[in-house]
Amino acid sequence: MAAATSLNFDSNSLERLTEMKDIHEAYEYLCKQENTIAEEIDELLEHQTNLEAKMSTLYRSVPNLQVVNSDAKQLGSMVSFTCDLAENVSGKVRLLDLAKGRVQEAIQRVNDVLDLKFCTDGVQTALQSEDYEKAAGHIIGGSVDVALHVLQDAKQNLTKIVREKFDAALVTADRASVERFFKIFPLLGLHDEGLRKFSKYLKSQIADRCQEQLSQASTLDSADRRAAVVYADTLTILFEDVGKVVEIHQPLVETYYGPGRLLQLIQWLQAECDEQASRIVDEFIRNREFSLKSRQVQALLHRGSGRTSTAHERLDPRELDVMLAECTLLNSRTELYLRFIRKRVLNDLEMVGNDEKADADKVAVLEKLLRECLLSRRIQELIGNYIVMEEYFMRESVIKAESMDSLEQGSHTSSMVDDIFFILKKCTKRAISSGSVDCACALLNHTTTILEGDYQDSLYAKLRAGFPSGSFDVAQAYSMLQQGRFPTSSSDTNAAKLEFMTTVNNIEVSLEYIQSLRRSLSEECAALLIQNREIGKDKLESCLNDLGAVTHKFKDVLDPVESSAVKPRLKPWVDSFLSVNHDIREDEFSMYEANDPFVQNFIMNLEQLLAEFKDFMTPSNYDSLVSLVTNEVTTQLEQAVLRSVFNRLGGLHFDKELRSLVTYLTSVTQWTIRDKFARLTQMATILNLERVTEILDYWGQNSGPLTWRLTPTEVRQVLSLRVDFRSEDIKRLKL
Amino acid sequence: MEDYKYLFKVVLIGNAGVGKTCLVRRFTQGLFPPGQGATIGVDFMIKTVDIGGDKVKLQVWDTAGQERFRSITQSYYHSADALVLVYDITSRESFNSLPGWVKEVEQYASRKIISVLVGNKLDLHKEREITIEEGNSCAESHNMRCLETSAKDSDNVDRLFLDIAVELTNNVRNVEIKSGPVEEEIRDHGSVQGCCR
Ligand SMILES: Nc1nc2c(ncn2[C@@H]2O[C@H](COP(=O)(O)OP(=O)(O)O)[C@@H](O)[C@H]2O)c(=O)[nH]1
Ligand SMILES: [Mg+2]
Repeated sequence: MAAATSLNFDSNSLERLTEMKDIHEAYEYLCKQENTIAEEIDELLEHQTNLEAKMSTLYRSVPNLQVVNSDAKQLGSMVSFTCDLAENVSGKVRLLDLAKGRVQEAIQRVNDVLDLKFCTDGVQTALQSEDYEKAAGHIIGGSVDVALHVLQDAKQNLTKIVREKFDAALVTADRASVERFFKIFPLLGLHDEGLRKFSKYLKSQIADRCQEQLSQASTLDSADRRAAVVYADTLTILFEDVGKVVEIHQPLVETYYGPGRLLQLIQWLQAECDEQASRIVDEFIRNREFSLKSRQVQALLHRGSGRTSTAHERLDPRELDVMLAECTLLNSRTELYLRFIRKRVLNDLEMVGNDEKADADKVAVLEKLLRECLLSRRIQELIGNYIVMEEYFMRESVIKAESMDSLEQGSHTSSMVDDIFFILKKCTKRAISSGSVDCACALLNHTTTILEGDYQDSLYAKLRAGFPSGSFDVAQAYSMLQQGRFPTSSSDTNAAKLEFMTTVNNIEVSLEYIQSLRRSLSEECAALLIQNREIGKDKLESCLNDLGAVTHKFKDVLDPVESSAVKPRLKPWVDSFLSVNHDIREDEFSMYEANDPFVQNFIMNLEQLLAEFKDFMTPSNYDSLVSLVTNEVTTQLEQAVLRSVFNRLGGLHFDKELRSLVTYLTSVTQWTIRDKFARLTQMATILNLERVTEILDYWGQNSGPLTWRLTPTEVRQVLSLRVDFRSEDIKRLKL
Repeated sequence: MEDYKYLFKVVLIGNAGVGKTCLVRRFTQGLFPPGQGATIGVDFMIKTVDIGGDKVKLQVWDTAGQERFRSITQSYYHSADALVLVYDITSRESFNSLPGWVKEVEQYASRKIISVLVGNKLDLHKEREITIEEGNSCAESHNMRCLETSAKDSDNVDRLFLDIAVELTNNVRNVEIKSGPVEEEIRDHGSVQGCCR
């Protein structure tokens, strides 16, 4: 059939066929088409039987379908019937439910009415029999509108009565009643009012006790053992009272008002504590003449150095001493109290288990209260003034110790060193005992200032004039001391020398004392930090470090001794080296050996010089001095050598002189001396050479373990001291 | 061992409320603290800065302005290398207190001390009660440098402390020059950067 469309044969076109070829073509085509159609017909006929079988099956099921149809109809009517029935039943159930609810409500109402009747009766009987707890208890129960106003009336009535009774109990300080009514307030929902009224009662108790104590304090016999600290004692009693109140009543508050209310109670109680503490502080200030002394001290300090004030306008240090001790006690007791309060409130807050934010807010309120309450401010004020007075006391005591300075025979240091360090330690320890980190730091700072200021100045001032020249007679020196005191103005150089040496020793010992002062104060501070939850640790450490660092500012104490007492005396001794000929013959060399012209004398002089100091110096100071002397000897001797001339034998002799000197100096000190003589020893080596070029055996690659301390120029210079060496040879050397 | 070449103490003084604590916190911690209470006694914070290649540790002491803490504060003057005297440019009262503070400094501080006058709260210049000229002439009459800052906006705060660090470092180097090799003076701190605490 596809071909038909392509060739488009139809009956019309067949008729128009004229060519034979075309007709054949059409015939073939039609034959092919016939075949195809025949095949298609066969195929269709094949299906016929199949279709017929299916038809008969269908015919057979027709009656069945009719049955189904009628069944379905029947089922439909049954379903709609059932539905109607169900609708009917559930409506009845709903009605029943409503009815049941109403019945229950009715029962509740009947019960309420019965309750109310009971409550109202109860309140009335309770009120009549003054059983207010019971009455308040009944009030919580009532809830029905009808009789609500009855109960509200009763509540108002009850509240009024409870208030009146409570106030009356307050007036008569009837403790039992107070505590009874205190418990009723939370039942009436009046927590704040109850707590406030209760705290009012507690406050009056605290106030009464404190006033009593204060009047006892003012009449206390001044000879009494506690008289010197009576205000600290009174303040302590006040704190103990408040503490006791908290201890006793906190459980009560917690039981009847719930936890978390302590902060509020403390806020109210602290107001009273503030007022009472303030009175105690006022009394302290008045009776101890605190302000007066404080003003006097300020005036004295502002005048500049305390040294200018005359004796009668000075404060009596002993009186000041006692008062200062009480001051630190007032502060340490306050710190203790505030720590107690903090701990209590924090514990109470913890029990509530609020969210973090609410807790943080409350803690902030607490910290602010502790920091800024009147008590804190008054005590801070007191401590502020205390610091000024303690500083003054410390300075005055130091000045006094200096003015009473004395020296005992056989002692290396004078009395003021021990005395002054005792004072510094005492005052700073006292400040630390106040329990205030800032106060401790302030006195540590003042100690540092005194040590590196006035104290150091006064010691070094004594050295500034230098070591008096002339001989030094020890026995003479001690005899000049007047009862251990140095003569104030004396032309006696022995006493002046003794004072000078004592000062040198004082300085050396002071260095040790500074470190031990630092150590012992740092122990005190450690104890303070433990109480203080480590707050302020960095501050204390910084101030302690500054104190320790004072040592670095005490330097080179022996320099003035050396330059004034040693240097000038060495000069002529070394100069005598120049008068000894070192360009010598064999016989002269032997003569020198038998009878040394320089070094024996020199050593003897040194021995004498050092002996003068040895007895007056601490061992380590003496070693330092020997070291300084050695430095000076080598410097001066080098110069003398460079101004002399030598031949080989002279060089040999110089080497011997040098060895004797080193041996002697090594014998008088613990420290090593040899190294200080390195340059001189190398000079001796050069002066001992046979030939100029022999130096090359010791120089450069050949130097071995020897480290040259002389520069090539210096080596040439020393070589040229040898009269027997030719300068051309020396010039030609390659060094 | 601690890693720094020089340690300097800088002490801030001035009336309560002028912003000393804020200046210290801004410089050392880079923040402007929300309402903290007034400072009690003294406190210090540390910041190490780099000055011309050397680590310089600044120990900045913050002090309470109230009278009752005065004696505590005073005990730090002696060892201070630099003092920063702060007033509030919106508070005439804080400015009027300056002579009293200067007197204290003269009385207790060492003579070598560097002191700088600082007018703080520059961000509130609309409410200014003290003109720049007034500040300058006050500084001049007491031989101080003068600077206006804002701890809130961080204006001039680093500059204040770094200038001090540079000047102190140069001073120490000048002393060292006499005994040691010459070191070049640092003229500005363009190269200066704060570094970690
Ligand atoms: N606008 C402004 N307020 C400041 C600035 N510095 C401090 N304050 C505020 O001034 C008040 C006192 O600051 P504080 O640092 O505690 O003063 P201090 O008593 O001198 O330490 C606080 O409320 C600060 O927020 C400042 O630069 N700009
Ligand atoms: Mg502050």
